Amino acid sequence: MDVSTSKNGRRMMKVFFTLFLVFLYAPVLLLLIFSFNSGTSPSFPLQGFTFRWYRELLANHDLLGALATSAKVASGSSLVSVALGVLAAIVLVRRRFIAKPLVTSFLLTPLVIPYVVFGISLLILFQALHVPLSILTVIVGHVVLSLPYTILVLVPRLERIEASLEEAAKDLGASGWRTFRSITLPLILPAIVSAFMIAFTLSFDEYAVASFVIGRQVTYPIYLFSQLRFPTRLPQVIAVAVIVMTASLLVILATEISRRIAERRLGAE
Amino acid sequence: MAVQAPSAPTVEAVEGVRVVAGRRRGLVTLGLLSPPVSWLVLFFLVPVAIVGAYSVGALQFFPGDLQLSFANWLHFFHGSIYLSLFWKSVRMSLTVSVAAVVLAYPIAYFLALVVRKRKYVLLLVTIAPFLTSYLLRILAWKVILGDEGLVNSFFYWLHLRSTGHPIPWLLYSQFTVMVVLAYAWIPFVALPMFVALENLDQALLEGASDLGATRWQTFWRITFPLSVPGVIAAFVFVFIPTIGEFVTPLLVGGTKGFMYGNAIADLFGPGFDWNTGAVLALFLLLVTGGLTVLFARFLQWRSVTAD
Repeated sequence: MDVSTSKNGRRMMKVFFTLFLVFLYAPVLLLLIFSFNSGTSPSFPLQGFTFRWYRELLANHDLLGALATSAKVASGSSLVSVALGVLAAIVLVRRRFIAKPLVTSFLLTPLVIPYVVFGISLLILFQALHVPLSILTVIVGHVVLSLPYTILVLVPRLERIEASLEEAAKDLGASGWRTFRSITLPLILPAIVSAFMIAFTLSFDEYAVASFVIGRQVTYPIYLFSQLRFPTRLPQVIAVAVIVMTASLLVILATEISRRIAERRLGAE
Repeated sequence: MAVQAPSAPTVEAVEGVRVVAGRRRGLVTLGLLSPPVSWLVLFFLVPVAIVGAYSVGALQFFPGDLQLSFANWLHFFHGSIYLSLFWKSVRMSLTVSVAAVVLAYPIAYFLALVVRKRKYVLLLVTIAPFLTSYLLRILAWKVILGDEGLVNSFFYWLHLRSTGHPIPWLLYSQFTVMVVLAYAWIPFVALPMFVALENLDQALLEGASDLGATRWQTFWRITFPLSVPGVIAAFVFVFIPTIGEFVTPLLVGGTKGFMYGNAIADLFGPGFDWNTGAVLALFLLLVTGGLTVLFARFLQWRSVTAD
C-alpha cells in the first residue's frame, strides 16, 4: 500500500499541482502573447500579430544601455562574490577555529536583512565617506547580498570532497595554492559555476538596493521600474521581458542540468 | 616519502614543529577568512551601525546640534502614524506568508512523497519562476489586473460590468499587493518544506500504516509534526522579506497599499527626516533579527540551495 496518498488523493494532488503550474506560468505566458500584439497598450481585446516591438527595441538606446549597465554590475559583483565565497567556504569546511558558529551566522546575515534598510544604510555610508555613487557602489552592495548564496552553494560541494585528496597532494609536496589549483578547484568547479549564476541573476534583477546607491546611471531593473510607473514604451519593455525571461530560464536549466551531470560523474568515480 | 631513515626527532623538536605549524595554520585561516568577513563588516555592519547612530541623534544630517536623545524612539512608540503603519504591514505580510505556506505545502508534499519519476525536474519547474525577474512578474500582474486587463476585459465581455468601469479594488489596493507578493514567494516557500518532507524517514510512515493507522492519522501524527521545522522556515523566509517590502506597493499598491518599507524609503528620500527614518529602519531590523534568532534552529540554511 502507498502510505503517502490514496489513489484519489494522488489524483487530486496531480490536479492541484497542474493548476498551480498554470497559476505560476500563466502570467509569464501572457507577457509572451502581448509581446506579439500590435496594440500599443497591453490590454484586451488582442489586436494583430506583429514583430514590431522586437524590431523597435533594437533602436531603444536607453533600454540597451540599461541592459549593458546591468550586465557590468552583475558580472562584477558575481565575480567578487564567488571569490569571497570560495575563501569563506574553504575556511568553514576545512578549518577549525574559535567562534566558528558566530562567523558562520555573520556571513549569512545578509539573507535576512530587509533590502530597504540595507540600501539606505549603504547610501549613508557612502555619503559619509564622500564616495561618489556609481555602478561600483552598486557592485559593493550586490556582493553583500549575494555572498551568503555563493557560500551556501559552495559549502555542501566542498563537504563532499574528501579532505584526504587535498592532504595527499600536500604530503606529495604541493603548496597550499598548488593544492587548491590542481585538486580543490577542479572538483568544486560545477558548484562555482552555479554560485556565479545565482549571484549573477540576483544582481541583474536587483532593484531595491541599486535604486539607493546607483546615482545617475540606470540599470535594467531601474529602467523597468520607471517604465512600470510611467509607461511610455511598454510593448518594447514586454518584448525585452520575454527575451530576458527566456534567457534566464534557459540558463537556470542549463546550469542545473550540467551540475547534476557533473556531480553524478564525480559521484560515480 | 623519505627513503633514508631520519634520525629520531626529539620530543621537543616535534612539539616545536607542531606549535609553529599550528600558528602558521591559524594565520592562513585568518588570511583566508579576512577578505569575506571584512567586506561584510565594512559594507554591512558599519552602515547599519551608522543608521543606529542616526536613530539616537548621535549623528545628524545637518551638523551642529549633536545630542544623544531617544526622543525619536519615544515619538515612534507613542502615537506616531508609523507604528500603526507597521502593524498594517505585519497584517499584510502575515496574510501573505500564511497563504503562501498553506498553498505550497501540498505542492511540497506532492513533490517529496507522491511523485516517483522526475522529482527534481518538477521541483526545478516549480522554483524556476522565482529566479526570473521580479519586476517582470509584477508587470505581468499589472497586465492581468489593469483597467483594460485580463480580468476586467473578461467582465466587460460578459457584460457583468460596463466598459470603462473596471473593478475598483483590482489594481492599486492592499489586495493587489498581497496577491502579487504571494505569487512571487510561493515557489521559494515550497523549498524548505520539500527538504523537510524529503528527509522524512519513510520507515516511520510504513510502520504507522503497518500498525493500522489510516493515511490521515499517519499524516497528522507523523508526517506533519516532522515537517513543522520546514513549515516554520518557509514562513520566516517569506515573512521577513515581505514585511520590509517597498517596491511592490509602489508599483501595484497605490495609496491604499502603502507599507512600512515605503515610509522608510520616503523619510530618507523626499521626506528628508533621516533621524526618524533611522528609527523606523532600525526597528524593522530589530524585529526581523529577533524573528531570525527566535526561529534560528528551524532555519536550515542548506534548504535554500536544495542540495
